[in-house]
Amino acid sequence: MIRAIIIDDERLARNELRKLLIDFPEIEVVAEGANANEGLEKIETINPDLVFLDIQMPGKTGFDMLAELDKAPHVIFTTAYDEYALKAFEVNALDYLLKPVEPRRLADAIQKLHIQEEKEQSANSEVNINREMLHEDDQVFVKDGERCWFVKLNEIRLFESVGNYAKVFFGPNKPLILKSLNALEERLDEKTFFRANRKHIVNLRLIDKIEPYFNGGLLLEMKGGEKIEVSRRQTVKFKEMMSL
Amino acid sequence: MSVFKRIPTYWLFQFFGWGLCMLVNVFYAYTFDKFNSKFLYGILVYMALGIMLSHIMRLVINKANMLTKPIEQQIFGFIFITVVFSLVTGMLETFLWNYLTWLREASPAASKKQVNYSKLVIGNSFNSFFYMFIWNCIYYIYHYVQKSRRQQVDTLKLETLVKELELKTIKSHINPHFIFNALNSIRALIDENPLRARGAITELSNILRSSMQSDKLETVPFERELNIVKDYLALEYIRFEDRLKIEYDIDEDTLDQPVPPMMLQTLVENAIKHGISKQLSGGTVKIISDFRYNHHELVVQNTGHLTGSYNADGFGLTSTQNRLQLLFGEKANFTIKEINGNTVEAKVVLPVAAVA
Repeated sequence: MIRAIIIDDERLARNELRKLLIDFPEIEVVAEGANANEGLEKIETINPDLVFLDIQMPGKTGFDMLAELDKAPHVIFTTAYDEYALKAFEVNALDYLLKPVEPRRLADAIQKLHIQEEKEQSANSEVNINREMLHEDDQVFVKDGERCWFVKLNEIRLFESVGNYAKVFFGPNKPLILKSLNALEERLDEKTFFRANRKHIVNLRLIDKIEPYFNGGLLLEMKGGEKIEVSRRQTVKFKEMMSL
Repeated sequence: MSVFKRIPTYWLFQFFGWGLCMLVNVFYAYTFDKFNSKFLYGILVYMALGIMLSHIMRLVINKANMLTKPIEQQIFGFIFITVVFSLVTGMLETFLWNYLTWLREASPAASKKQVNYSKLVIGNSFNSFFYMFIWNCIYYIYHYVQKSRRQQVDTLKLETLVKELELKTIKSHINPHFIFNALNSIRALIDENPLRARGAITELSNILRSSMQSDKLETVPFERELNIVKDYLALEYIRFEDRLKIEYDIDEDTLDQPVPPMMLQTLVENAIKHGISKQLSGGTVKIISDFRYNHHELVVQNTGHLTGSYNADGFGLTSTQNRLQLLFGEKANFTIKEINGNTVEAKVVLPVAAVA
């Protein structure tokens, strides 16, 4: 059973989607939200498997809402017609439905979701049940200006602190997210993500080279070419971790 | 100047070109001391021949549509025609010259004089080739320049046309987001409230129809525009439900006044898009139409704030301003401002028309 939430500012639009979902008994709509704030609250308390999300809503857009979550759930976007959003969809191949929703398109989107779920279940059957911690297969939603991405944590090489923001390095991109490095460190699995110094958290699995550095420190070269210094204190910890 | 204007450019070029050619010849003859009446006579005949034959050449070029052919064919045709016409000119020149000499001198000695015709013809043709080549070069280059200039003008014309069309689409622009949202709401209503759903379809088709017709008309009676806006707001009410409050304050005498079609509609759409839909608890849209200071005032007020994005997004606003300027010039104006802290007011001031 997939537990889903519908977030849309129009009552009729929510009703319509509910009605369409009757044909999919494996999906149970457990809650609704009429704006981004309600949505955030519902997602955090219910922790749904799937969210149907409208983009244009009063207050915050659907994209803004997702960017505030520590961990992004599976999302199917719904929108009437929004050039700005459509562009974001096409660039990043996010799944979306155009309102009025065509039942066949809905079936496709749900089918795709099943395949993805199966893949994940076989991949991490021994997943820790601790929902507070982020697992490396978890995804985050990152928005930077017009572009947005769902990023799996294991694709992220590096977090860099920039004031109150953190710069996220994955693939060729490095957008900013509104999260402090300390807050991130608390939620990230320390087996994978290591605090190299005051300003950087690195993904241990995406290190390319390790070299000795001044004062008994280390210099890490990431897979993307970034060079990160490990502070002296953290070097001790790093060596402990790596030397079994 | 006026005389020159009446003569076609082509003939100006012809006389000027051949005239120049003649002058150069005379000049050379003079410096080399060969100038005499016979020479002058000859050169005049040659010029007449040149003008005549180059004119025939032009007829051939035009008849064969040489200038519109692909470049390879043009070059080939250019050379071919030049060679053929220089041969013809050379031949004609030779025979004509001999005939004239014989006429003038009429002496048996001259007629008996042995002349190597083929050599003369080739020599003369060679000379003519030089002139014909230059003539053709000028002709082709002139047309080439004309053509590229014409192309530039055409591109400019096309650009203005595109702009005009853009303006037209702006005029009849109805936000597609609105249309699809409305359709989605109507689909949900079909089960919930079939009667209201039927009404909504009528409202939506009224709006679509008037937006299609609007670019054919400069102005419509305000009453017609108001009905569209009423339909539009009724549809938005289905979407927003309690979050949208609608108020009207309409002076009935203004109903006959002419207004630009879809202008009030655009302003109301903006009020919803930038005002109501951004407010968590919704808000009010108020439409006022009244006579004030000898003008017809149309006002749309909505809950919300005038933010930077509102101005930058000026799609509807700029087009409103432009349309008013085009239709009424200085007699109309458009303003948008924030009043009472949480209301945005858009105001259109129109000249009052005497309505029968």
